[in-house]
Amino acid sequence: MMSRRAAITVTVCIAVAAALGAVGPGQAIAADQVVKVGIDASLTGADAESAARIKNGALLAFDEANAKGEIPGYRIEAVTYDDGTATAGQYDPAQAATNARKMVSDPAMVAAVGPQMSGAGKAMAPILSQGDLAIITPASTNPDLTDPRFAAQYRPGGKPIYFRTVTTDNFQGPNLANYWADSLHVKSVYVLDDGGAFGVGLADAFQKRAEQKGIKVLGRDRLDPKAPDYATILTKIKPLNPDALYYGGVMQGGIKLAKQGHDILPKAIKGGGDGIVGPEMLTAAGFPAAEGWYATIASPHLTEDVKLADWMKEYKAKFGFAPDDYAVTAYDAALVIIDAIKRVAATGKPVTRDAVRDAIQDASVPTLQGEVSFDANGDLKDRTVSVFRIKRDPNFPSDDMVHQYMYIGVAPAS
Amino acid sequence: MSPAGLVSALSQISPARRRQGLTGLVLIAALLFPVLHANDADIDSMANAAAYATLALGLNIVVGFAGLLDLGYAAFFAIGAYTYGILSSYQLMPPWGAFWEPLQTLGLVARMPGESGGADVVHFTLSFWLALPFSAAVAALFGVVFGAPTLRLKGDYLAIVTLGFGEIVPIVVRNCSGLTGGAAGLNGVAPPRIDGFSFGVSATPYYYVAIAMVALLIFVSGRLRDSRIGRAWMAIREDEIAAAAMGINRTQFKLLAFSIGAAFGGMTGVFYVAKLQTATPEMFGFPVSVMILVMIVFGGIGSVWGVVLGAFILQLLQSWWLQDMTQWLHAAGRLVGNAWLQRIDLVPSIELIFGIILVAMMLFRRQGLIPAVRPQAALSMDQQQAAVRRGGFSGLTLAGIGGLSHHAMALEIRGITVRFGGLTALNEVSLVVPQGSVVAVIGPNGSGKSTLFNTITGLVAADGGSVIFHDEDITRLPPHAILARGIARTFQNLRLFPNLTVMENALIGQHARLRTGVFAAIFRPRWSRVEEVTARSRAMQIFAIFGNRLTPRVGQMVAGLSYANRRRIEIARALASQPTLLLLDEPTAGMNPAETLELAEQVKSLNQLGLTVLLIEHKLDVVTTLADTVYVLDHGEVIAQGSPADVRKDEAVLVAYLGRNAQAAVAGMAGA
Amino acid sequence: MTTFDLLLQQTINGLSLGAMYALLALGFTLVYGILELINFSHFNVFMVGSFVGLWTLQSFGLSGQDVILTGLPLAGVLLVAFAVTMLATGALGVAIERLCLRPLRDVKGPAAMITTIGVSYILFNVILLSVGADQKNYPNPLPTVRFQLAGAVLDLRVILIWIVALALMAGLWLFVQRSRLGKAMRATAQDPEAARMMGVDVDRVIVIAFFAGSALAGAGGLIFGLYYNYTSFLIGFTTGLRAFTAAVLGGIGSVPGAMAGGVIIGMIEAMSGQFIATAWTDVIIFSILVLVLVFRPTGLFGRLAPVKS
Repeated sequence: MMSRRAAITVTVCIAVAAALGAVGPGQAIAADQVVKVGIDASLTGADAESAARIKNGALLAFDEANAKGEIPGYRIEAVTYDDGTATAGQYDPAQAATNARKMVSDPAMVAAVGPQMSGAGKAMAPILSQGDLAIITPASTNPDLTDPRFAAQYRPGGKPIYFRTVTTDNFQGPNLANYWADSLHVKSVYVLDDGGAFGVGLADAFQKRAEQKGIKVLGRDRLDPKAPDYATILTKIKPLNPDALYYGGVMQGGIKLAKQGHDILPKAIKGGGDGIVGPEMLTAAGFPAAEGWYATIASPHLTEDVKLADWMKEYKAKFGFAPDDYAVTAYDAALVIIDAIKRVAATGKPVTRDAVRDAIQDASVPTLQGEVSFDANGDLKDRTVSVFRIKRDPNFPSDDMVHQYMYIGVAPAS
Repeated sequence: MSPAGLVSALSQISPARRRQGLTGLVLIAALLFPVLHANDADIDSMANAAAYATLALGLNIVVGFAGLLDLGYAAFFAIGAYTYGILSSYQLMPPWGAFWEPLQTLGLVARMPGESGGADVVHFTLSFWLALPFSAAVAALFGVVFGAPTLRLKGDYLAIVTLGFGEIVPIVVRNCSGLTGGAAGLNGVAPPRIDGFSFGVSATPYYYVAIAMVALLIFVSGRLRDSRIGRAWMAIREDEIAAAAMGINRTQFKLLAFSIGAAFGGMTGVFYVAKLQTATPEMFGFPVSVMILVMIVFGGIGSVWGVVLGAFILQLLQSWWLQDMTQWLHAAGRLVGNAWLQRIDLVPSIELIFGIILVAMMLFRRQGLIPAVRPQAALSMDQQQAAVRRGGFSGLTLAGIGGLSHHAMALEIRGITVRFGGLTALNEVSLVVPQGSVVAVIGPNGSGKSTLFNTITGLVAADGGSVIFHDEDITRLPPHAILARGIARTFQNLRLFPNLTVMENALIGQHARLRTGVFAAIFRPRWSRVEEVTARSRAMQIFAIFGNRLTPRVGQMVAGLSYANRRRIEIARALASQPTLLLLDEPTAGMNPAETLELAEQVKSLNQLGLTVLLIEHKLDVVTTLADTVYVLDHGEVIAQGSPADVRKDEAVLVAYLGRNAQAAVAGMAGA
Repeated sequence: MTTFDLLLQQTINGLSLGAMYALLALGFTLVYGILELINFSHFNVFMVGSFVGLWTLQSFGLSGQDVILTGLPLAGVLLVAFAVTMLATGALGVAIERLCLRPLRDVKGPAAMITTIGVSYILFNVILLSVGADQKNYPNPLPTVRFQLAGAVLDLRVILIWIVALALMAGLWLFVQRSRLGKAMRATAQDPEAARMMGVDVDRVIVIAFFAGSALAGAGGLIFGLYYNYTSFLIGFTTGLRAFTAAVLGGIGSVPGAMAGGVIIGMIEAMSGQFIATAWTDVIIFSILVLVLVFRPTGLFGRLAPVKS
């Protein structure tokens, strides 16, 4: 058994823990009634940079709404949650679940933006459903979360609470397969994934559609995004002479694949999903390695839209770096929430989670990406997948995402 | 009551009662926590912390008790988690058949329509409560599988092999996606249910299950530690060779440590995954194994309460306090207008904190926050200054030491040859030890005497020849089996268990004669308690041989005793195993003439009670007093044998000890 | 591409991997040979070395692979980069030994090894927290030159790695075998007590072993960056585990063993990727680690039996 001193230490620690929890950081006192909206993203780990862009997109919307007094009598307080941990090096399902609990147990919280990664979403959805808290994701694309077949797992509470301002990987990978088959007449492809939740799902969906379109899938293998050397797998692919190489996975592996793929498979058409859309592809992989890569995002392409130029300037001025397309969808998700709260407040009824959720379900909101509305499962009605090709534009700096990722168009739907 | 009165009243309660009282207070605080602090997220953090505490307790058994450094412990966490996850989610859906019907009546599976109206399929519905022991058993099995290859490895190498397994398991999980859901993870894992009430997503019922698990495992850990099992583990940790020589089956106990530690990990896996309702391979990687190691290093390796405290502090730091501290720093930054303070985030630095903790603890406080203290009874001034009293053999029957035997020959060594690489340590050595006699083996340094003892007791394998004990060939037996048959030994350089008490050393000597196993250790049935009391009194009887030298010091750590006393303990430990043949390797080395004489007389008394003795000695007067027969070894060969008087005059012996030129000098002296 | 060409190319791939692993394994085995200590921090010293090289090359104004040098300027830049990197990591190794390991030298048990795990974590996280998680593009002044070898391609960089690695290994071998200090190191490895009694300054020998081993790790880090054109805080982990297996396979404590082990592990990685699947390579390599330690702990060339009480 333990010594007396030890037992006292234990008791004191538990007491301190309880006290710390009770005394949290103070809440701001304001004249308006405060409603809270959560923002959850993977701010620690490998995806931290894109998480910051998403977080800031949402924050921009909430700050603007407060400044303009968008909702009379109400102020929105945005609370940020990080679902990444240093131990995992990326999003951590346990931390995501904890964040969901924190959100649900805060009575002032009425809605949330996020998460960024589908794996976090899978951990959060059941908890949010039981707490009846609606969440709108600007970036997580795994289709299972809104699939009615898995309703018992992801929305045990019954009503959909997981909404998206992006479309899903049911369309992202397959639509690129359509484009390659129809426009580029690709006849054979080798598929790689990075072993992660997002990448495997994306590659699976792409592969299935490619086979349906008559593209011969010469093989499928996995690379470790943390490993430095892909010469072996690329050498293995080389004699098979594929027309194209598809990579379902995150930036970490994509950069190295681009560099080494450029040396070993110079002639193959190469492409991936939204995991490889980011300035790192341009700075870390650089040119000529990244040249010619195709990439898709699960939303319409907006950052070149003239109408958005002002918004982009405002974002850059406030946060110091340029937004990407998912910053736009995050901003739009926030706009939907603001609109929902506004509509509920206008009816004079109390702003509760339930009411806000219903309002989101019925939403039809003009946003940067156009009119946003959701289907019965919470998916975005607009199923646009945008295709880009990296092409060096010497008139602009090499890490300028808007100009080095050349927009090709909307990928053909299945 | 005045404060002084309160303090004096409290100090009158015995230490044991005080400890019980504090434990009770901690328990009450833990039970009331969700009531007093009804924040679901914080209760969730505490539940997670409790889960990590059970993991720390499991690793503590492997690393702290048994001294086996396991760097891949998260593998068992994963195995338990996935076992429950696969058997309670929609991952595996084999087609329905008659085979599944009895399982359906037992409630282990359910019948479901197949996808898109296909044939019926099986849906596994293993209940959480059944999964706890079942997954623990599966994990324990893997504990044996992963532990088995490490049995002959020492220290660092054992750690590396466990690290290898710890890496292999998550990769296999990720690659076998048909079985485990792969990288996408297992989803739809069923939460626990009691009587139709499903735990759902509120953290409070999970919290109580976790606290119950921690309490249970603290109880089990404590019971194991204070039993024959715990002593065997600590003996292995302190000195494996001595442990084997004292009758501990190292293979059995190492595997036992691995499997019980793994079982704790497997149970925790079930709980963790049931709470999260999902499982992914990333949750069980090397950083998790290291985190649990940091928890036990921080809390105190080997200390049950220490590792629990370490786990709670570090897990709460990670999931609760660092975030709060970051908010405070931000608020402070806003207050003073410092931009850096407003942006700093402490949460990603948790791994850096782990690294610093590991280095700092190892350099400055290796025993951790709460050291694994062994209770030390201090000697009173009288006891310390007491005049030395010799002991006696009253009350010590041969039954207390060893049974009489009807064999004429206790030990026969026939043509033993032992080679170490190119060196022949023993060459066709033969000797006999008649029952009830004292035989001495002498010879110059390096002649192979200790090697002979090591061969007899099974620590060194013979390359030829045989060792017969009571007409049984024991040449190929492992050391613990030889002890069990009645041969006990002491070591030339003393191999006591330094961080254990005198009494514990003697109790370990009795290991082979006691029967308490894992279940008896945990549940303490009456026969086990009686056995323990009898063992202690037998040890006290043996200590009484040495008068008041050891008896007042039975609660002391062996490392703090005088050299002569440690020699005596080594002999007492050997006697405690009730041997019929006692091998003494230079028992009087380092003793002054008075102590030497005393010990020689004690050995003679033991022999007169019927104990056969085989003795290595350098002091010729001891040999002459005690031995019936003397064998002389030189360069691994027997060069002379006979009575002490004969051997003393033997030429070959003189040459061996004194050299050729001395032979003439002695011849000159012989006339004197 | 014929099967022969394919095999040849994979062999070249395997040998380049092997050279990297051999270099890392060598530094690691040096320390183990003398202290019988498994130094987990070695592989993050390698990672730190690659960053030191990055910053040195950047200080020359180099960035990306756009600026190419040849001839004397190239040799000069590389020389300076190697010198600075090796000195820096050597110093880091000495600091680790002095501050964290020397106090524990007489402590039995796993305390020292646990400390190296802690140091490894500290290095890893200090770099992560200061430079960020993203991959850094490595400045590489080497021209891209490729040779055709039958149907396979041999890059100039592969030849460079091999030349530098062999030169460093040969240098180390000569030092250990021929010089007085090397003899002192070998003596200390066999029996520190006896060596001390013969007048060897054991403390100094250990410091030099750490310096040499860590300098080699630093050189390996710089070579890594020049070869793969990137670095990040993670490179120590994956490459490190492979190099560690190489050291164990070759025989921990043996210099030729580390080289042989490196080549073998590199070839296994290439061939298993080709004939099985890259997804299983890690499992295969860890299984080799386990099998070697269980069935032949001395490895291929090792002479020290791994017995530590």
